[in-house]
Amino acid sequence: MTAIALRPVSVTLPGRIRRYVTTPDRPDDEKALVLSAQRGELEAFSELVRRHQRRAYAVARAIVTTHEDAEDAVQDAFLHAYRALHRFLPDQAFGAWLHRIVANASLDITRRRKVRDADELPETIASPFRDPAESDELRMRLSDALARLPERQRAVIVLHDVEGFKHSEIGKLLGIPEGTARSDLHYARSALRRLLQQLRSPQ
Amino acid sequence: MTINDVSTPHLVPDDGDAELTGALRALYAAPESADYWSALERRIVDRIVRGDSLDSWWTVPTQWVRVGLIAAGFALIVAGSLFLRSRAEQRQMAYDAVLGTPAGGPTIAIRDAQTERQATLNYINGR
Repeated sequence: MTAIALRPVSVTLPGRIRRYVTTPDRPDDEKALVLSAQRGELEAFSELVRRHQRRAYAVARAIVTTHEDAEDAVQDAFLHAYRALHRFLPDQAFGAWLHRIVANASLDITRRRKVRDADELPETIASPFRDPAESDELRMRLSDALARLPERQRAVIVLHDVEGFKHSEIGKLLGIPEGTARSDLHYARSALRRLLQQLRSPQ
Repeated sequence: MTINDVSTPHLVPDDGDAELTGALRALYAAPESADYWSALERRIVDRIVRGDSLDSWWTVPTQWVRVGLIAAGFALIVAGSLFLRSRAEQRQMAYDAVLGTPAGGPTIAIRDAQTERQATLNYINGR
């Protein structure tokens, strides 16, 4: 069995949670974390959260329309992942497994939000929290244009162009064939260009 | 329009657009503050420690399954009681038809063989 390269160094979280110092380059490292988390060590799962939360946020943010919903989706997804961890095979890629859970959580939030807000349609996609002023003109136009895209096309273009996911990965995340993801990307780009062009044109 | 409402069109090569991609990346950039990520991690772990319930795509079907099972159980009880009641009524009707005379029904006079014979003899003697 491979030696586990983990070393608890300080107490920073509630309960018996310790911080792990890990070697990020070693593929076995993550497997060891997963195995530890499967044995019930919350600190190991906490380290997995630390490693994957940014990417998880990016996946969620591509699917939902607001920063707050993306945050909720990430939290829900990690909770689901923790509870389903015993079913995860440690030889698989934890990230890919987690991203599918995040995508499902995000789609679920989108569906619930749609039911809840059926009577009030937002005019634009909410901006990321770090720039609420939305001063940049292109960004404003882009927000307007994105709001007019079908949900799936928007998710596909963000996952591909912003997050660098491959078509096949996007297909798995959104539950669509790879070819559909490819064509969605093409149509999303064309639509955004056209919409931006219209917005640039004087009224 | 939902996420699955878009049909699959024919494919055309598309290499992207640097300006568009740059703007998208700026718009969808994840928060950069380390404090933000520490806080999010803490919230996630806190929810795990608290054993928070989840109200989403795994639990909602479970809730619906629960409701469905209760409804199915109730329907089964109602159907069972109606069946038993109907069966009891049918049985009663069958008994009534064989053994008794329902109130208000047609009266059938049954004469026994002895009475009939006596009547015949009386008729012959009388002649």
